[in-house]
Order: sequence, then structure tokens, then C-alpha cells
Amino acid sequence: MTPSRRSFLMGAAALSAAVATPEMVRAAAALDAVAATKADWALATRDIEGDIARRTMRLIHGRAPAGLQGALYRNGPARFRRAGGSATHWFDGDGMMRAFRIQDGQATLEARFADTPKRRTETELGAVVTPGFGTKGDARARIGSNDDANAANTAVMVAGDQVWALWEAGSPLAMSVSDLSTTGFVTLRDDLKGMPFQAHPRYASDGSIWNVGLAGNRAVIWRLNADRSLNDAQIVALPRASYMHDFTATDRHVILVLQPWVFETHAMPVISGLAWRPEMGTQVLVLDKDDLSERRLYDLPGFFHFHLGDAWVERDGTIRFDVAASGDPRFAVDGARVLVDGHGVVPGDPAKLALITLRPNGRADMTYSDVVGEFPKADPRRAGLKRSLTSHTSGETRGRPLPTGLAVHDWDSGRSNAFEFGVHQVVEEAVFVPKPGATAERDAWLVGPSVNLKDGRTELHVFDVARIEDGPVATWQADMALPVGFHGVWAG
Amino acid sequence: MKTFAAITPVLALVAAAVVSAPAFAADLTVEFPTAAPQGQIMVALFGSETNYGGEGQPVRYAMVDAAGGQKSATFEGLPDGDYAVRAFHDLNGDGKMNTNPFGMPTEPYAFSNNAVGNMGPASWDRARFAAAGVAVQSIDLK
Repeated sequence: MTPSRRSFLMGAAALSAAVATPEMVRAAAALDAVAATKADWALATRDIEGDIARRTMRLIHGRAPAGLQGALYRNGPARFRRAGGSATHWFDGDGMMRAFRIQDGQATLEARFADTPKRRTETELGAVVTPGFGTKGDARARIGSNDDANAANTAVMVAGDQVWALWEAGSPLAMSVSDLSTTGFVTLRDDLKGMPFQAHPRYASDGSIWNVGLAGNRAVIWRLNADRSLNDAQIVALPRASYMHDFTATDRHVILVLQPWVFETHAMPVISGLAWRPEMGTQVLVLDKDDLSERRLYDLPGFFHFHLGDAWVERDGTIRFDVAASGDPRFAVDGARVLVDGHGVVPGDPAKLALITLRPNGRADMTYSDVVGEFPKADPRRAGLKRSLTSHTSGETRGRPLPTGLAVHDWDSGRSNAFEFGVHQVVEEAVFVPKPGATAERDAWLVGPSVNLKDGRTELHVFDVARIEDGPVATWQADMALPVGFHGVWAG
Repeated sequence: MKTFAAITPVLALVAAAVVSAPAFAADLTVEFPTAAPQGQIMVALFGSETNYGGEGQPVRYAMVDAAGGQKSATFEGLPDGDYAVRAFHDLNGDGKMNTNPFGMPTEPYAFSNNAVGNMGPASWDRARFAAAGVAVQSIDLK
């Protein structure tokens, strides 16, 4: 028999029947119900009922470095489950802004929910009803604009006496620096109300701040002044409608990495409209900051990513940046559901660091390290400029979600140094904080929290970048555990 | 007889109309208490799901001179029944509902009952209200 589409489909049907019959699925579900024990990491996606008043954290290790003063603002989902229906995806919980303040050797923690229309609606209904990245929602949703679905849960930037809670598909939500109370959505110019402002703004050495927002195969490129006012916003056409969580920039270029996870249908939740087409490869679109119509397109083999490192351009025009890359979007589709379930196996392999090189002759290549890592961060003094170091979370293993350590990778030497807490800690993104008056790349601290699963407490750690393998130089512990967050920013 | 027979139903209708006028006519006031004092507010009143859904005309419409200090529109003598309002605030007075480059509205809009849709305009079921006698809808344009 000649193989045909029909026989192939029938074969596929027979195969899937052999792999998972309805009876097997039911049996597995019953087993889950019996053994509904939560994984040891389930605290990392716990629900928080209400705002957390400022409290002193207890120094449990080391001492605060002299000269480290400021606040780490972090955002992340902190409420997933409601009696009438729950978020089913890690990216769809209500945003909660955390402030870890370090002053005179003391640390405090407070946290407050972003007071969004989504949260108000769902509090009133006692149910999560709003469709999101991976949560289906239901007919009770009240969405008159994209900001009505804005979870304000992904990242944060400081803007004067405000912090802006950032999401992916809507406006920044302004909150007070002093008490984290919500002011409201930010409209940078009246005719741009509601335009998406993504979660990873890039800060340039000239003080300008760049960001993107996507709608299908079009992007808005935001350019803000140092005071967070709008300098310019331009619409650019993209070669494909790709899912993009992050972009990067050199001091001269905006770089959009278009992975082969593409929108094929308009559907909610977001992931239901996306298809993984690795054969399409990954495209890298480079735009000139001074003239966004000046563009260059590079081709790479297909890979999946959320996060990119800051980029730089070398004297001969070669552009480099790093990425936490993985083979497919299974974490984004299925792994993030496991996290909210609080048990189960996350499919696929954890992301590894890779270095992407875009050459003046139009060729691009990508070199994988063997370093498992996510949440890449770098020296803010070198944003858009040549650097060698990337800090990142580490320790994630196949089958068990969430990182357990923190590491620094040196792209010049190829050396990696890491500190592994062990599986009783879930380690969150740490930010790079330059030491006062210092200029060398290693003259910096990493400041970031973890959830100590054994103690059931949130901790805040300070590492010395030059000696990360020695472990934290200071650790404070709160009297409670917040769920793990996504991204933060340091305000010194 | 023939003449009388012909005229009786008409008289009956007239009499019914006169006698029952207070019970069969509604005066609806649509208020916009939080509207900014600029531009004009376009108000369209619909009397059926089909027309509200975009396939027909409003039963009444009004332009509220927000810049001139007005904050409400009144529709008098409406037949009792179910209605729904669509309104938007033409802040810059250009006669259009402006949108951002991705096509999303940038000028405030709202529906009766302050109903919000589900990725689209509020449905008739959410925005519908019964008008009889003196009725008031207070709407926050967002």
C-alpha cells in the first residue's frame, strides 16, 4: 500500500489510542485524586490571600555589605485559585509587587497586589474568568479592552515615585514606590492608549529606554526618555507573527528574535493560537535605533526561548547576545500548567545558555554552552556594550521544575561559577547591583530571593559576583513565604 | 353601523393611548457623572437586540456637549420596554471614535449598566435595562 495522508492519519490514530485510551486517562486521573499529594516545590506557586504589610526580615547568615542600600522591586503572580474557577497556567495569576528594602544593614519585605480590573472582576465573582496566556477563562469575563485582561504580573520598572507593573499585552500599571498602592494604567500619549508595553525594557547608556509591544506581525517600538516620558513610538512590520516575550538591544540596535512559535489562529488563551514550526527556523530582525526602517534579517536554526541577555556590537559590526534557549515550547504550554497544579512532571529539558553572533556578512550562528540557566541578567553599567558576564538561575533538572542555584557565566573564558542551594530552595532571578564607585564587571553584587521550602519562608540573598561559588554574603529570612516571582529591578 | 364599526377600534386606540399615556411612556435620562468637561459624548439608544448588535438604527440618539458643561441626555416619551445604550466620548471633537495604531479605542466608551463585554462590545443581555416611567442610567465612560 502506498503511504497516503489517510493511512498516516489512521496510523497516528491507532498509535494515540495505544498510548492513551480514555480508560487509561480516567485511571490516571483517579490515581491523581488518590495520591493528590503536592510536590515538594508546590509552595512556589502558593496563593496569597491579601496584601503583605511591611515586615522586618531576620538576618540568618553573614552580614549586609557596606554600601548596599536600596530596594529590589519584584513582580510575579501570587493568586491562581478561586472557589469558582482557577487560573491553570503559571503566567495568569494576579500580579503582586514585592519590595525588598535594604537600609543600614536591615532588610524589610512588603508585597501588594496590583489592583487591576481583572482582579476586581474575579474577586467579585469568586472565580478566575479572564482568558490569559494559558488560562481559558469563561463567558463571565469582562473584557472591554486588553487592559481589562492585564494581570500586571510579569516585571517592573521604576519611574520616579512610581513602579510600573509590566505585563505583555497591555499598558504599564503604575504603583506607588512608597506603599505599592495602585495608581492606574499608564498612557504614554493619548493616541497610544492601551498599546502593549512588554515586560523587558532595555536601558541604554545614553539614558534612553527601549521597549516593544506586539500585535500579530506588527510591533510598536517604544523609545522613552530617562525621565520615563515618551520620546517616540513607531510601528514596524515583522516578517512573521511570532510569540515574543523579550527583545534585546545594543547601544545602536533594537533586536527582535522571531522564534518559530507562530500565531496561526486568533484564539484565546494565547497558547491555543500558537503553532510550533521548528522547520521555519528562528529569524533575528535587527533595526537601527536612529532609523527603524534600516533593518537586517538573519536566519538561525529554530529554537525556543523566553529570555535574552543584553546585546553589544563589536568594532567590526559583529553583534552578540546570549539567550536561555530550549528545544521547544513544552514548558510554556504544559510545564507552566504543572506548576499551578502543584504536582506532576514538567516535560522537556531545562533551557541552556547560548551565544548568538550576527556577523557583518549577514551570517548568523549560535553556540550552545552546556550551562543550564534561565533569567539571564548582566551588568547595568554595560547595557548595550561589550561585556563578558551573565548571571542566571541554575540547577534545574529534567523532570523537576524551578531552579535551585545561582551562577555567573563568563563568555570570554567559558568558565562558569555557581552556588547550589539544594532542592530545598527555589531560587528566583537575581539582579546585578554595581558596587558604589566601582567599574569592573565583577565589582557587583547579585541580589535576589528564594523560597526556602524546608522552612516555608521567603529569603533574600546577596552574593558577590566575583565569588558567587562561596554562597551568599548575607541572607535574610521573612516570617512567611511568597510564591516565586518572575522579574525584578534594583533601585539604588 | 358600518361607519361606527369602522371607527370604534380607532376610538378605542385613541382612548387607550390618552388614558394610559403615563403608563406606556418612559422618560430616560442617561448621565455621565465622571466625564471630563471636553468634547462631546455620542449616545445611541437601541430598543432591540438586533439593532443594538449593529444591524439597525438606534431608536434615539443624542450628542452631549461635555465641553459646554452638559453631563446628561434625556430621551422623553419612549415606549416602555427594554433598551440598551452605546456611548463614547469624542474627547477631541473630531466626530470619530479614535483608535491606537493596533485598532483599539483610545477614547472612553461605555454601555448601559456599565456593562463590559467579553473581548468586544457588551452584549445586549449585559447592557439591557427596562425603561418605564422615569428611568436613569448613570454611566462611567472608560
